[in-house]
Amino acid sequence: MDIQFSSEEQRFREECRDWLNANVPAERRPMDAEAAIGFDKVWQRRLFDAGWAGINWPRDYGGRGLSIVQQVIWLEEYARAHAPWIGANFVGVNHGGPTLILNASEAQKTYHLPRILRGDSIWCQGFSEPGAGSDLAGIRTRGKIEGDELVINGTKIWTSFAHVADWQELVLRTEEGSQRHKGLSWVICPMRAPGIEIRPIRKMSGQVEFAQVFYDDVRIPLENVVGGLGNGWKVAMSTLSFERGTGFIADQVKQSQEIEDLLARARSSGALRDDRIAEQLAQMRVEVAALRAMTYRNISEVVRTGQPGPEASVIRLFTSELGQRLERMALLLAGEEILDFRYGDDDLVADYLRGFAATIAGGTAQIQRDIIGERLLGLPKSR
Amino acid sequence: MDLTLDSEQEALLAVTADWCRDNMPLDQARDRPAALWTELEAMGWTAMTTPALGLSHATEALVFAELGRHLAPVGLIATAVAARWSDHSGKTALALLDPYPEAGRLRIYDPDGAGNALGLVGHMVAMAVLPADLGGVAMLDPSAPLAHLEPVPPFEPLGDPRSALHLQLLAAAFALGCADAARDMAADYARVREQFDRPIGWFQALKHICSDTAVRCAVARSQLLYAGCALDADDADAAFHVAAARQLADQAAIENARANIQVHGGIGMTDEAYPHLCLKRAHLLSFVAPARREVILGEAA
Ligand SMILES: Cc1cc2nc3c(=O)[nH]c(=O)nc-3n(C[C@H](O)[C@H](O)[C@H](O)COP(=O)(O)OP(=O)(O)OC[C@H]3O[C@@H](n4cnc5c(N)ncnc54)[C@H](O)[C@@H]3O)c2cc1C
Repeated sequence: MDIQFSSEEQRFREECRDWLNANVPAERRPMDAEAAIGFDKVWQRRLFDAGWAGINWPRDYGGRGLSIVQQVIWLEEYARAHAPWIGANFVGVNHGGPTLILNASEAQKTYHLPRILRGDSIWCQGFSEPGAGSDLAGIRTRGKIEGDELVINGTKIWTSFAHVADWQELVLRTEEGSQRHKGLSWVICPMRAPGIEIRPIRKMSGQVEFAQVFYDDVRIPLENVVGGLGNGWKVAMSTLSFERGTGFIADQVKQSQEIEDLLARARSSGALRDDRIAEQLAQMRVEVAALRAMTYRNISEVVRTGQPGPEASVIRLFTSELGQRLERMALLLAGEEILDFRYGDDDLVADYLRGFAATIAGGTAQIQRDIIGERLLGLPKSR
Repeated sequence: MDLTLDSEQEALLAVTADWCRDNMPLDQARDRPAALWTELEAMGWTAMTTPALGLSHATEALVFAELGRHLAPVGLIATAVAARWSDHSGKTALALLDPYPEAGRLRIYDPDGAGNALGLVGHMVAMAVLPADLGGVAMLDPSAPLAHLEPVPPFEPLGDPRSALHLQLLAAAFALGCADAARDMAADYARVREQFDRPIGWFQALKHICSDTAVRCAVARSQLLYAGCALDADDADAAFHVAAARQLADQAAIENARANIQVHGGIGMTDEAYPHLCLKRAHLLSFVAPARREVILGEAA
């Protein structure tokens, strides 16, 4: 057991740092949805061209085939350099792609994976429905098989980036009359197919980043099913394990940077002399350190056994709640200036307001606590 | 970088857990046999990091968490620090010096048969010779015999400042073990106790109390192992990491002990049941080399 990085890993870290120092854009990611997507694509392409996209993805599909430790080193340096948020590439890079690597056919992988890494195709996730949120097995959107096509009808909601996406991870009911986890399929849905209508939804932070999607006799080829017809629940669970597991490493390492930024701000403004603020900052600094240790422990587990340990669910919950406390502290340090916030501002108030998603999206904090109680402690299932 | 246990650590941990279960069960914590101490020393746990054995602090922290989970005598902490940084061998009691000198109160834990006591004086670890035949009586913590000593005998500081980090690390490990014990006791009870025709752990209000005990343990354990490694590597931030581990383990111990009592309901409040043993141990440990905020904020002189 040790915390030293190998000399090869240290060299890799320096490479990351040098490149980021020279290449991180000076301008911020634009607030306007259209402009933001352009920004995200250009930045992803630059990352790809320089070899920083898909660090631990297989070489055959455009990745570099390096270890998850190197991926984490990259993310640490990325946060330290205050490089831009991954934005619209989140779904494709963090869980769409990894789900395909694990479950898709060779043809699906060869077509989609390099496009995701290059920033050429934007993905979105169509899991939640108005009647199926925490209870995902309540999905009612259906796909009827007609010849070699699926005919889709129904609706999805809270679909992040739906209005700018090219493709969607769509989970629907392909077996008529099936119940709950049975009879579902995970399909690749082209977002520009006829019959798809997208109604964007504004968040309380002002951004328009998610939408409700309506499907009216949308026809897609049956070959777009991933992992086999009727296996949708299993494939969706692998998507969620990426989304809740490795997908959040970027958030985890970013918090190490955020606490240091807050501390520096509190020191220079004199706020640190306030005992209550000092107490809270001290507590968060300790927790951020532990989060890093947990992340390291989890990735060492992945390196050793090929999969994250049972504590991955703990990390997800802990990160989301700690992140919200960091955002609240930023608000507290800013004082009355937060009252001048307007839609369109991209500042700590916007971060605070969007940050509510951390304990809702991808499984609420309540659902995460159920999972911890049931899987880690063996308590009886409530649902 | 690897924070998983290697096969030697796993084996050592399994041996420790087995031994503790057979020889030092938590349910006998308030009535330990006199011979227990000799057996503990014979198992080598107090001298693991001495040059003769040369094990790592990370390994030691793991083992001490296991010992702490069974509410092992707190004197083990002082004895291990003395064995590593002084030339005293044999039983060393744990000294808690009231930080306000005018109070002049010195508490000695596990004094029976100990020639010396070790504890923090200011920010340094120091040792004092104990009068012969100092006997302890359990006070708040029924599993920790305590003697008061007045006037305070002269304390001799140990030279190496790392001894204070070592003391803090082991106290954190004991506290983590205490938190683990409370977590498991609560979950065990929540699985078997039934009300409204189902195990109480089925109710989310209780399930989530239990989940939070698991979160606190997982968080504190990761930081403890990281801190142990930082100490082993002479890392420039070792003092911070040990303080962080100390603080998280302390919070986990107290919060989990309190949660465990709530999960048990009425029986949780009784003298006869075990939950209060964890609570009282947690409060005692919170006074052993606690984390300092200046160190955590990087402002210590
Ligand atoms: C910013 C954002 C982005 C999102 N992006 C996407 C996306 O791209 N694709 C997608 O498919 N979905 C997305 N979602 C949806 C997200 O997955 C759901 O919001 C989430 O699963 C909760 O479902 P719900 O909103 O229907 O809330 P509900 O499930 O109705 O929950 C309401 C409240 O009830 C609680 N609750 C529900 N069931 C239980 C229970 N069994 N025990 C205890 N409490 C319970 C919840 O914790 C919550 O507090 C996004 C959500 C947000 C906020």
